Amino acid sequence: MPTPIRKISRAMTVPLAVGLLFQSAQAAENRDALMSAHRGGTVRLVSKSAGGTIDPHINYAPLYWNYFPGVYDGLVAFRKAGGAESLTVVPDLAEALPKVENDGKTYVFTLRTGITFSNGKALGPEDVVASFRRIFKVSSPTSGTWFNGIVGAEACLAKPADCTLDGGVIADASSRTITINLTAPDAEFLYKLAMPHASILPAETPPRDVGIDPVPGTGPYAFESYDPNKALVWARNPHFREWSAEAQPDGYADRFELSFGLTADAQVNAIINDQADVMIDQPPATRLAEIGTKFADQVHLNPQLALWYLPLNVNLPPFDNLKARQAVALAVDLKAAVNFFGGRNLATPTCQVLPPDLEGYRKFCLHTRNPGEKWSGPDLDKAKDLVKASGTAGQPVTILVEDSDVARNIGAYLQSVLNEIGYAASVKAISSNIHYGYIQNSNNKVQISVTQWYGDYPAPSDFLNVLLGCGSFRKGSDSSPNISGFCDKPLQAKIDRALALQSTDAAAAGTLWAEIDREAMEQVPLVPLFNPKQVTLVSKRVGNYQYSTATNAWAFTLGWVR
Amino acid sequence: MLTILLQRLAQMAFVMFGISVMVFLIFFATPGSDPAARIAGKNAAPETLAAVRHDFGLDQSLPVQYAVMMKKLFVTGDLVSFVNRGLKVVPAIVEATPVTLSLVFGAALLWVAGGLAIGIAAAAFRGRLIDRLLMILSLTGVAIPVFWLGEMTNLLSQNRLHDTLFFSWVPALGYVPFAEDPLGWFKALLLPWFTLALGFIGLYGRVLRASIVEIYQEDFIRTARAKGLSESRILLRHALRMSLVPFVTMFGLDFGALVGGGALMTEVVFGLNGVGKLTYDSLQSLDLPVIMASVLYASFFVVVANALVDIAYLMLDPRIRSN
Amino acid sequence: MPRDAAKTTGNPSAGGAEGFRPGERQPASTDLALQEEMLDPPAPSPWVSAFRSLLRDRAAVCAAAVLMIIIGASVLAPAYARFVAGVDPFSSNLEGEILLNGESVPVLQPSTEGLGLGVIPIGPTWQVNGYFLGADEQGRDVMARLLYGGRATLLIGGLATALTLTLAAAIGITAGFFGGWIDQVLSRILDILWAFPIYLLAISLSIVLLTARIEIGPFVIDSGSLVIPIAIIGIIYVPYVARPIRGQVLALRRSEFVMAAIGLGVPSHRILLRDILPNVVTTLIVFVPLMMALNISTETALSFLSLGVQSPGASWGTIIRDGQSLLYSRPWVSTAPGLVIIVTIVALNILGDGVRDAFDSRSKLRP
Repeated sequence: MPTPIRKISRAMTVPLAVGLLFQSAQAAENRDALMSAHRGGTVRLVSKSAGGTIDPHINYAPLYWNYFPGVYDGLVAFRKAGGAESLTVVPDLAEALPKVENDGKTYVFTLRTGITFSNGKALGPEDVVASFRRIFKVSSPTSGTWFNGIVGAEACLAKPADCTLDGGVIADASSRTITINLTAPDAEFLYKLAMPHASILPAETPPRDVGIDPVPGTGPYAFESYDPNKALVWARNPHFREWSAEAQPDGYADRFELSFGLTADAQVNAIINDQADVMIDQPPATRLAEIGTKFADQVHLNPQLALWYLPLNVNLPPFDNLKARQAVALAVDLKAAVNFFGGRNLATPTCQVLPPDLEGYRKFCLHTRNPGEKWSGPDLDKAKDLVKASGTAGQPVTILVEDSDVARNIGAYLQSVLNEIGYAASVKAISSNIHYGYIQNSNNKVQISVTQWYGDYPAPSDFLNVLLGCGSFRKGSDSSPNISGFCDKPLQAKIDRALALQSTDAAAAGTLWAEIDREAMEQVPLVPLFNPKQVTLVSKRVGNYQYSTATNAWAFTLGWVR
Repeated sequence: MLTILLQRLAQMAFVMFGISVMVFLIFFATPGSDPAARIAGKNAAPETLAAVRHDFGLDQSLPVQYAVMMKKLFVTGDLVSFVNRGLKVVPAIVEATPVTLSLVFGAALLWVAGGLAIGIAAAAFRGRLIDRLLMILSLTGVAIPVFWLGEMTNLLSQNRLHDTLFFSWVPALGYVPFAEDPLGWFKALLLPWFTLALGFIGLYGRVLRASIVEIYQEDFIRTARAKGLSESRILLRHALRMSLVPFVTMFGLDFGALVGGGALMTEVVFGLNGVGKLTYDSLQSLDLPVIMASVLYASFFVVVANALVDIAYLMLDPRIRSN
Repeated sequence: MPRDAAKTTGNPSAGGAEGFRPGERQPASTDLALQEEMLDPPAPSPWVSAFRSLLRDRAAVCAAAVLMIIIGASVLAPAYARFVAGVDPFSSNLEGEILLNGESVPVLQPSTEGLGLGVIPIGPTWQVNGYFLGADEQGRDVMARLLYGGRATLLIGGLATALTLTLAAAIGITAGFFGGWIDQVLSRILDILWAFPIYLLAISLSIVLLTARIEIGPFVIDSGSLVIPIAIIGIIYVPYVARPIRGQVLALRRSEFVMAAIGLGVPSHRILLRDILPNVVTTLIVFVPLMMALNISTETALSFLSLGVQSPGASWGTIIRDGQSLLYSRPWVSTAPGLVIIVTIVALNILGDGVRDAFDSRSKLRP
């Protein structure tokens, strides 16, 4: 696999190479032909339930993050493309990628001209400033974790209503430049700007959660109506004129109707019976064999930047003992977990935190029968010895799983294994909606659980620092993604070093991330299971299905139904 | 009579108050139910959590939160969901009502007709093989778990037999408004109607048969027989009419409960966005405002139906009234 | 919950138990045999005569036989698992293979056709020596689990019934006999319990109880124990039984012989013991099969909320649940327990009709 991050950094410094220009001219010609052939039609989507507020600054549900990129724009965006090509950050509302000055602390963007919101209002620099303030005014989920590095953010977090970001985000109306000042260099800042939470909205958008009333955007589509008990509908934005086929291409279909309320099984039936075009939820694992054989040409498999894993609470017995944690890592048959998810074509066993495709990914496996590059099978005898040596044998262990088929199956299997290596294990399933918050809160004293992490943007820190960094362990809070409660000072120092190095020397940072990945796994704060693939079932009429690796989402503006 | 009515009203209010307080307390006693982190989003900073908590009034004391919620629900009507922020709860329930009404009315027609047919037929052939068979069939209908029946129906009509002549007419799951497409409405609801009605057909058939058989022991039936009236005339004109009293009261109770959202499993299995589905979803996502509203809505119908039946009995039985 | 309507909103006709409804008096006998029997000379003891008439009811005897077979099969579950099928129904068997027509077949079969997605457990072999009904997603023998599941389901149904009837009798008698404010308070509590959304209670309890151990004195209620489903099922149907009993006691209290006893200055506890309790007990006996049927259906519903028997244990409800995800590929996993539940409930109801006819308390209630 190529290392795409390097590609991104090149794109950042050399925006347009000559060869690329030629290629894109050809592509544009092709696109015109495709556009005339496939333009039009309505795409019918089905999903189990609605995804909450429609406010792009607040919503953090994967469901709507699929659709925000075709409705809203940021200053920059991930390229609208399938696979690894999507990992490149390209200028969107900005004319070019920013000049980075002042040792990586100042970003200067120039806003494009001639872009209009779907309500007819022209986009201006004041909209950009207002949008950044609004991130804090509405207490966006990531305001304190992604955008806290902007000058003036601290005051905004303390008093959201009076947020000005003075000295942090500065607009110049005459030259249409936006200057963003950071308190420290942040190599991932452009990624964060490409996220829906940094969408540019009209300045007059109310400074509170808009809930179910859509906000105008600049993309090729605009939300038309939203009722969380019925449907979300979006259609063409009449004011849209394409300015960059890479960042925000015009869409093929005229209209999208996403209706809520069907179970995953019913969604599969609806697609097979041609009553719907795209199902949003993953098909149930037990239907995969059926759709993989009978409807193979309607199934799309796409790797995701994601990890299924077992967090081990390093502050509670028995897993406060390193040997006990090693024993679990050795005993778990990753193949079993993979099979519950849907088999080896749908998930790849992994022994590390970083998923493939990320800078710093070096394949290794420490806790397996024959340690080396690949996972080679469980070693139950050694695991049993380790449990005995640790002195934790016979202790009760409760496995907390969410109430979904795959997690319940993994939990039941895990119970078998833990009992076999000498623990008294039981497994509890709790409602999927509570599970994630529940296992994060250290007050709930969860010893081991089954969960998954989907990266927000393609950076190693979004895995290593979020899942194992000291800063993301918050005692007694439901929002503490370091579920293991793991905090290793030397390792944290290394993480901080890698974060700082990233903006100057990406390759060296990559090497450092690889070391961190390995050193973390030596302490086994979590047991990685597998990197999943997204499996999407579409109707026969859906063409050019592209899945964006960068955003873990369907690049829906590229697809057609005609 | 007026005092009894007033007393009854006060009791209803008390019961609903008790239910709302219990829902509220249970919600907050449940570990992990604190909505702040779920509202704020994954990996939210502590400041963000605090801001959200303040925004939703979750930092206030429980009695204050309860009072505010009741005020928003009953006085201002602007209670909003925790999960789908911005979704007003009261209009959401109002909008879901036609779906539930369509489902329950159709099913009620089926089960009243079916229950009458089975009850009368079994009573007419009482003690004979047909009676036995009908009663066992009814029992089977009663014993089938409704979600299981619904899933089996979907398995056949949407998957295994969808391409056969028998089920090729079955549309996609979901509700079609009557005003938009009456035929589509009918097609979409036909299978859910039968699924929901089956158990009730069995139940009502058995109850009706039992009460007809009981009435047959009464003196006036003997008199009618002595007068030489035909057996069918006795059954339909005399026995049936008297037997309809328990049938109708039972219908009142069941209908009330179903309109209140009691048909939730049928609605979930068939993807109908009615009140039951709303209740189910809100319970799944622990969305307190919607739970509170839908539970009170449902208990209102249950309590009213109970009260009506009690009052009807009161008026029928002077012995209890005098006390 | 058997019927949709069931307890979420407190639909009183929940699940199969016809007739006995809150706010309503018991329906009358459905069988003519009883009327004939009333013409017979009085039997020496009401219990003996009731039992005799029950034995004369052929349908009830058949139903009882079916139930005995189901109970027997459940009791013999370990024997089946160990000696006939040779499987362990409680541990995952992901790598297992079985001999089928001389060929070795894996219990969990990865799909190799097309895109090669998914892993499907083996379907019914229809051979008693293993995987008669196929395997579940953990590779466990569904037939063996079905038999073991019967033990848990019947045990929960039986004990929950005992709990319901005890509580209901205590509340119903207290409310009906003493009346006044005691009656008011108890009745309103019953109302609240009846109209309360049981799913909310269940989900909440599933988190509170399943993640914590409860210690009451020397007793430790572990989350895995059957006490939780028994307690929940036992409590939610108390109003269902308590209200008719309250009504019955209320009527007895006003009957001439009790009035006379009170007038004569007989102490309350003697009246309760001698005049009221025997009448209530016959009513309770009538309720037993009906409540069993109702409780079995409720267990299925609770298992759906992960509140029933905990993994790796089995009950009919949990097997239906496990089979839910396999509905489209291995429909037998959920069909088999569904059918067994239907047969059991039908048999219990037929037996219930027989018991009611035999013990009909209505004639005794008439002053």
